[in-house]
Amino acid sequence: MSNVQGALAKLASYRAKNTRESRQTFETGLLVLKSGKTSGLGDEEWSFYEQLILSALDIGRIDVADQCLTKLSVKFPESPRVDVLNGIRMEATESPEKVLAYYDHLMKIDPANVSAWRRRVSVLRRLGRLDKAVEELNELLDTVYTDSEGWLELADMYSLCNQYPSALQALSHALLLSPQNPFTFLQFAETAYTSGDLPLALKMYLVVIEMNDSEDADAIPLGISVRAWWGAKLCTRQLVLSSSYHGSPSNTPVPKNLALLDELATERVLTAYSGEKGVQTRSLVSGWMSGR
Amino acid sequence: MFGRILLLVATLGIFHAAFSTYEHLSYLKALERPEGSLPPDIVVETLLSLVLGIIGACLNAPPLKEITWSSEMRKHKIDDMDSRLGFASYVNRGKRIFSTSNVSSKLQ
Repeated sequence: MSNVQGALAKLASYRAKNTRESRQTFETGLLVLKSGKTSGLGDEEWSFYEQLILSALDIGRIDVADQCLTKLSVKFPESPRVDVLNGIRMEATESPEKVLAYYDHLMKIDPANVSAWRRRVSVLRRLGRLDKAVEELNELLDTVYTDSEGWLELADMYSLCNQYPSALQALSHALLLSPQNPFTFLQFAETAYTSGDLPLALKMYLVVIEMNDSEDADAIPLGISVRAWWGAKLCTRQLVLSSSYHGSPSNTPVPKNLALLDELATERVLTAYSGEKGVQTRSLVSGWMSGR
Repeated sequence: MFGRILLLVATLGIFHAAFSTYEHLSYLKALERPEGSLPPDIVVETLLSLVLGIIGACLNAPPLKEITWSSEMRKHKIDDMDSRLGFASYVNRGKRIFSTSNVSSKLQ
């Protein structure tokens, strides 16, 4: 049935993009499971089960998760990956101490089981023990430097405690690991803006815009370019208004053509709102731009 | 579709030319002059099949993808890039919001 084919293609794209749309994933996956055509998938069958387990746990359908977990344990009896899935299943019903003890046990059996370590950090964060979670995450990242997700999680945890310089440090490691990813630069720029370091934020916003460049310079900005132009506009507006800026903590110099940048950012943001979807809010935006 | 037809025709042509060559060589061996040259029409058939095969393969190729990082990154959304699934907490309000008992109580 083409329904099942379409569902499988959608699930595969979710897996590739790391999307966390649990309800949609669950409904699509349940469709495939009920149709009984799972045996014809070959190697994809097992990653499909893993995806279905995680989305089922996310929305509370533990029965379906148990069903798929038994199938996986039968097929891969001694696999550390299935053990970690078992741990996630335990997180849904058992007490946190039991779960932490289980993950400790997994790490003792196989010290290289990084996924079990990550789950420990996640459980500690969920319990509110952020200091312990940050400590363990730092240890993990000392051992496994290339875990880009881990650096982003560390930055998130520091931002939660308003420790922005440490968050910026963690983000800079993430930037080193994936220098072609404009989303990390955007997060860096926004964290810098939140911590008050306006020249650094402006520099990073301009980097995002440059990375997301399309060939046509007069085209309507789309996607994260809109967010980056907004950020640039906010920075330039504040820098223009305060004629004596008291120095950025990271010693980033203020750009020379600040007024021109301000004009450009204004024009680009207004262009972003001139498409068919943005026209209604354009009056609000231009009101804000000209006010004060 | 057209590309596949061309590719099929070219493959059949190559096989036919190969078989004809084999038959011709066994014919020459039967006549005891194994140094004879290949008839020109087999050569023409082979070359024509090659050209048709190349054209068919080019038409049959899957659609081209972009090579720049920026074009690839434009297709992603912030939620996907920041999802951090390895650290995600699967114990959240989802259990309460999406459980079936909630749905049935809403329908009453």
